[in-house]
Amino acid sequence: MLEIQSARKVFYKGQADEKTALNDLNLRLETGEFGVVIGSNGAGKSSMLNAISGALVLDSGKIVINGDDVTGMPVHKRAMRLARVFQDPMKGTAASMTVAENMLLAELRANRRTLRRGLNPARLAAYKERLSLLGLGLENRLDTRVELLSGGQRQSLSLIMAVGGSPELLLLDEHTAALDPRTADIVMQATIRAVEALKLTTLMVTHNMQHAVDFGHRVIMLDAGRVRLEIAGAEKTSITVPDLIGHFSVKTDRMFLAS
Amino acid sequence: MDFLQNTLASFVSLVPVTLAQSLILAFVVLGIMIPFRMLSFPDLTSEGAFPLGGCVCGVLMAAGLSPLPAILIALLAGFVAGCCTAFIHLRFRIHTLLAGILMMTMLYSINLRIMGRSNLSVFGSATVFDWVPGLQPGFPASKIVMAGAFGLIVFALLLHFFRTEKGTAVRAVGANPDMAEAQGINVWLATIGGVGLAGAFSAAGGALMVQSQGFADVNMGLGILINGLAALMIGEAIVGKQSVLRQLAAPFVGAIVYYQLVSFCLAAGMPPPDLKLATGLFVLAMLALPSLKRSRGPAPARETVRE
Repeated sequence: MLEIQSARKVFYKGQADEKTALNDLNLRLETGEFGVVIGSNGAGKSSMLNAISGALVLDSGKIVINGDDVTGMPVHKRAMRLARVFQDPMKGTAASMTVAENMLLAELRANRRTLRRGLNPARLAAYKERLSLLGLGLENRLDTRVELLSGGQRQSLSLIMAVGGSPELLLLDEHTAALDPRTADIVMQATIRAVEALKLTTLMVTHNMQHAVDFGHRVIMLDAGRVRLEIAGAEKTSITVPDLIGHFSVKTDRMFLAS
Repeated sequence: MDFLQNTLASFVSLVPVTLAQSLILAFVVLGIMIPFRMLSFPDLTSEGAFPLGGCVCGVLMAAGLSPLPAILIALLAGFVAGCCTAFIHLRFRIHTLLAGILMMTMLYSINLRIMGRSNLSVFGSATVFDWVPGLQPGFPASKIVMAGAFGLIVFALLLHFFRTEKGTAVRAVGANPDMAEAQGINVWLATIGGVGLAGAFSAAGGALMVQSQGFADVNMGLGILINGLAALMIGEAIVGKQSVLRQLAAPFVGAIVYYQLVSFCLAAGMPPPDLKLATGLFVLAMLALPSLKRSRGPAPARETVRE
């Protein structure tokens, strides 16, 4: 379970270009729930994910994961509980290290690292099996350095690395946005399979309205640093892409009127 | 013909002495390689940590301490110096190179304070090189055996470490610090520990050098960095850097080949003052090579370092 309690973050405080990124944002995601976050640029989606992962320190408010307050924890401590797939495939993997070494790093995310040999035969066999599920042939390239893989392969690897070890919370930050449509589809299908199989509590940010309609239990629309709209249950199952886009335009009209 | 014969004769006669020297300086090359390649942290501390190790070792030997504890304490001093550089970078967000320059400049004064004067003779004190059985102390053979043995032990330990779970995590910090942090790795700890370790090796090189040459000098670090870098480039050109094994072997192979090359140039009559220019041009050429080769094949990865 994830809870964000009146999270507030202001950039450039007191300066002319002061910007409120998170404006007393409240959000609650139940265990096993799959939330899809949409919103226009600058609505606070990235700031929210960064605040959850620890990359952004809040001015005030609380982040609670499964009942534990993690607000004061640095990124590497929170990594025990959550995993994240970034939009940029380069960001989520260590380019100069091999596929197997990257898998090892992910496996050890929540564990104590010891002075025993990292890549042992048992682990290599396990990685081979897990990567073969993707059907991209990565299982035969365990010793390939990740910088030699394509963007789609790297992003698929990031996904496998993130869902391995069943994190308490999975954060997907527009993770298919940088991929071509076919690869994006492959990565998205793999995401859904993993999330459903492992019943992961997931928060996905996307600009793809079709994805927001097709996947997840709840659509959360952010605007100006707070939750503007939540669509769940029967309403979520019947919603269409034009409906969602309609909500965007209503908001934009209001912005026009306000200005 | 005469020139060639003379050159060869004096070069060959210098091979053992040069080999002994290069095995000792391999520790400094190791101390340059670890931050640079494993942590993407170009570290200049070695220019100060090398004489630091020498000064600490010299003072302790002059005070009558036995040679091995003297080396170990020097090693510890180098470790602290390396940790300081990493801390300056991490805490105050100062560029890695500037942090190194600050540290090596401050170390010069510290080294002078430690010794109380600019140089100190420890000639006649017992050294680790006296302990090699069956060989006469003070000759290159005993230095080669002792420094070589130390080198082998360190090489084996590092090779094991960088393949362990912890060691893989340290390498991840160099490969992609943001990703490493997101994978639960404490970037501060890995960086401070890694750069500290490198400082320890540089200082160990200085300590061994003092025991080998019989004196310590505050200026003994002058230019050691560029020499070490040149040696590292040669080593990487010969054995490569694609795997942990190759990357770790490069400093040792590079040091051995580089110092023989230098010795050959000197034997051929090159004036010693020109040596730094030649070394600098060589390092420049090695670093520039990838960008000169760009027209062929895929574009090479740019040298990425932390700032």
